[in-house]
Amino acid sequence: MRALTAKSKTYLAEIATLLRGETKTISAWSASWNAPRFLRHVGVIVLGAGLYGAAMGLWRDPQQALYVAIKFPLIILLTTLGNALINGMFAPLLGLSISFRQSFSAIVMSFTITAAILGAFSPLIAFMAWNAPDMAAKNFSGSTYNFILLAHVSAIALAGMTGNVRLFQLFAQLGGGNAVAFRVLFAWLAGNLFLGSQLSWILRPFIGSPTLPVEFLRKAVFHGNFFEAVLHSLRQIFQFN
Amino acid sequence: MNDTTPVPPRIPPQIPPVIGPNEPRPLGDDPSERAPINNVVAAIDAILRHPRRVMFQLYQPGAGNLIGMMVLVVVACSLIYGVVVGTFSGHDQLWLAPAKISTGLMISALICLPSLYIFTCLSGSQARLVEVCGLLAGLLMLMTILLIGFAPVAWIFSQSTESLAWMGALHLIFWFIATIFGLRFLATGFSHSHARSHAGFHVWVIIFLLVAVQMTTALRPIIGTADTVLPTQKQFFLAHWGDCLKAPDNGLKSNSRN
Repeated sequence: MRALTAKSKTYLAEIATLLRGETKTISAWSASWNAPRFLRHVGVIVLGAGLYGAAMGLWRDPQQALYVAIKFPLIILLTTLGNALINGMFAPLLGLSISFRQSFSAIVMSFTITAAILGAFSPLIAFMAWNAPDMAAKNFSGSTYNFILLAHVSAIALAGMTGNVRLFQLFAQLGGGNAVAFRVLFAWLAGNLFLGSQLSWILRPFIGSPTLPVEFLRKAVFHGNFFEAVLHSLRQIFQFN
Repeated sequence: MNDTTPVPPRIPPQIPPVIGPNEPRPLGDDPSERAPINNVVAAIDAILRHPRRVMFQLYQPGAGNLIGMMVLVVVACSLIYGVVVGTFSGHDQLWLAPAKISTGLMISALICLPSLYIFTCLSGSQARLVEVCGLLAGLLMLMTILLIGFAPVAWIFSQSTESLAWMGALHLIFWFIATIFGLRFLATGFSHSHARSHAGFHVWVIIFLLVAVQMTTALRPIIGTADTVLPTQKQFFLAHWGDCLKAPDNGLKSNSRN
């Protein structure tokens, strides 16, 4: 029992180091590969993003909560894997001399920070979902939906920004300087947003809709893409044909 | 001719540590702050008269006992204040109101604890989870002790008025004043954790206030009465307050869902 407590204290201290952005320690971690530490970081992503996903889906249905708890970490992990190669190539091309393994480890650590923050917000989001009028209720209004959407956007934006700020600090510590760190971060961010958006589109729904059934994936999973949908919405807003 | 008188070794003058104008005085520099807190009465006395003593003890190893005592005080004080709240409607509310207030307070703290720890870390603070727990327990303890101080005033008003809206507003004002003092304790404790920025802490304060206020709506009725123990209709607190003010019988004791 004591060993377990000591271990959990060590893990918590590791997460706290990441959150505090202690760049010297973090750059040392990224320089030397350590499989158990890497697995712990993946564990934080699964747990943190999973808890947040569950809280997000809870408003629609408990079954939806379970689905989103699986899908949310999946998006992060698939985005990391899908862009690992191109991100590893971008870093040296843009002036940051780090190995492929270091770049992969840096992205995982950045997402670990994001997931830890999301996990900490999950009780707040669950409390909000528990208090929100039922989606199918008569008194349900669009303003409630917009408020919940805004809360999710704020929480995810805060978590994402913090993860990226810490990544920027790490790049600067790794010898790139601020200009190089900014270039690499911008390139990685663009790639991750591009792939991440499409993965979210494929793995929809997340919050869910009262008029559509609760399901793990929509019927037309690969029908269209995120950017087509945005373009379609813009056309509708501005009445283009 | 040799001088045999021993020459005392040269001791450099003791220079007090330089403290910046914005840096707080280090905890424990006054010997009275180092005195251990062994019982509940000492904990209550310390948080009111010497909050720095509580903070110093929270940053020491083995602070778990002190945190336990503080939680005990929070539960006891919130139950007592709850009974006073319940006296407005009487009957079942005499046990329902204390149960709801005590439970709501503890759940609010548990919901907000992870985000407080995360914001503490993000601000560069070196505080450990147990220290953050202790500071949060300190906030709740000071808050509930102050509520006990307000309890006689609240009781007198609850016996002399029939207006639910008035009593609701009065309890909210008392809670708000008590919370400000509690948050001041938390902010002082936070400033001793070597945090680089207080921005995250300020965001957390807003989150905590919103959660606590929403909890009063989620567990309604606390002051008034209703057919069910918990509400059947979910609402955000602003919508609920709006409904309370719009209700034609908001001035009557029998009005439910407050």
